[in-house]
Amino acid sequence: MTDPNVERKLVEIMRIINESDKPLGARLIADELHNRGYAIGERAVRYHLRILDERGFTKKHGYIGRTITERGRKELNDALISDRFGFVITRIEELIYKADYNLETGKGNVIVNITNIDKNDYDNATDIIKYAMDHGATISPRVGIIEEDTDLDIYVPDGKVAIATVCSITFDGLLLNSGIPVVPVFGGLMQMEDYSPAGFLDLISYSGTSIDPIKIFLRRKATSILEAIDTGNGKMLANVRQIPVSAATRAEELLNVAAKHDISGHLAIGDPGEDVLYAPIERGKVGIPVMVGINSVAAVEEAGINVDTHPVSSVMEYSKMKKL
Amino acid sequence: MQSNQRIQFTSSKIEDLMFRTTFNPKTMEGDVIVNLSLIDKQDFDDVLKIFSMAINSGLAVSPLLKILHEGDSISGRKVGEGEVGFATVCSITIDGLLLKAGVMVKPRFGGLVEIRDGEPVRFTNVLTYHSTTIDPLEVLMSQELTSVMSMLKTGSGKILANLREAPMVARDVIDSTLADMVDAGINGILEVGEPNTRILDVPVERDHLGIVVIGGTNPMAIVQEHGIPIRTNAMSTLIDINKLSHINDLV
Repeated sequence: MTDPNVERKLVEIMRIINESDKPLGARLIADELHNRGYAIGERAVRYHLRILDERGFTKKHGYIGRTITERGRKELNDALISDRFGFVITRIEELIYKADYNLETGKGNVIVNITNIDKNDYDNATDIIKYAMDHGATISPRVGIIEEDTDLDIYVPDGKVAIATVCSITFDGLLLNSGIPVVPVFGGLMQMEDYSPAGFLDLISYSGTSIDPIKIFLRRKATSILEAIDTGNGKMLANVRQIPVSAATRAEELLNVAAKHDISGHLAIGDPGEDVLYAPIERGKVGIPVMVGINSVAAVEEAGINVDTHPVSSVMEYSKMKKL
Repeated sequence: MQSNQRIQFTSSKIEDLMFRTTFNPKTMEGDVIVNLSLIDKQDFDDVLKIFSMAINSGLAVSPLLKILHEGDSISGRKVGEGEVGFATVCSITIDGLLLKAGVMVKPRFGGLVEIRDGEPVRFTNVLTYHSTTIDPLEVLMSQELTSVMSMLKTGSGKILANLREAPMVARDVIDSTLADMVDAGINGILEVGEPNTRILDVPVERDHLGIVVIGGTNPMAIVQEHGIPIRTNAMSTLIDINKLSHINDLV
């Protein structure tokens, strides 16, 4: 293994190239590294780029600059585990900051999960999504539909349609925007009994994992959402955030207003310092569980339709999202 | 909801099991921690072959296991009709043994270790024990991220492993306990780090050293990679080591 400090710079350079939609030259990379707190000159960047080329992680296109290779992209997923420990929560914090939906003006972005659906399955899938949303399985009944080439920010593979569902982390964005310090703590599997939440069966904390907790439950196929809707008993996905006790009243007011904007589906605000539906909460805090938007697409998978879902993946203008 | 369904994080489950481990590698007596896996009866021959191959390649904690048939029960879990169960030694047994030797060992996380040309290189995905109520290796198995079979065939792939930290003052006791374990047929140590030194790309706490052990669930991961359904309950219970038999006596 190379020196961890060199390794870190190499990974940061790959991230910068990966985030760009066109080839990047050493000069631009050096500027961006500077923005990110790495004091490293253009010459040194060239030196690092040569290492990346040799390892087959980047590719040089004459004088235009470099792009990342498939191998480089894979390396980004595997490298620097000690950084990625906290990466799930870091990424979420970034999106919470970007979610600027304003409940007064009705303008701004919400956080969305992106699900790619085969065009042939589109009608069946949207029927199920609508069914799940009508029965309150998600935080919001609004969706965004992205066809190939209609949106430059979100990539849609050939032959697929992407559906954006509102992610429950949007809630955290609303809380932060009204000045409430909020920390998403757990994603979990919720037991539903008689059409209401009875308690969490399993929890995974947002810190201490390199894979998104909701993605983990989704891939484990742990849910029985259609059953929960039909019979009142089943398993759904939910997550929990905690806020200071003193902010609980403010949060409650906020939730009432949010409901008028089709953002609801919160289960309850817990009691100060008490477990909320068996999820442990710090002293001096209250826990707020929310049904995740992913439930609607998990229901689609339960019905045997294969879809590809990326939880907490992007932000989208909420006014452009419509009820199905 | 029943109160006994209340959630418990893996870290506390592990401590409980470590305390209850009584196996003594010198006398070959006492209880070890086992994982319980259930398969469909019709897959039995295939699964046994895979287990045998995996275990003989060293991809398990111990060659000892117990096969459970219909109606047998283990720690309140009954093997159902048309099912066969496997109780295999869990890697947390090693933590139990170190604890009983007086070493304050701290299991930290389960993860995927990338192996390149037969050498462990780094962890690529991890879940800490205190952050999850489901065993991290069970979680990682279900994410279809393992390539244990490819590791066996080509020497490169991703296998399940876990990391614990121990204080460096206990180094000599650790070395001798691990040696006793190997003599008793409990292997699976992938790497023992130097004090204050990163182990497989993971930094350790000050004045500690890291120990990486191969996950007892790797054979199950191979079964799954072959598309055979298997339901694994890691860190299930404890069992007397003398009730287990060597894989080569079962094939």
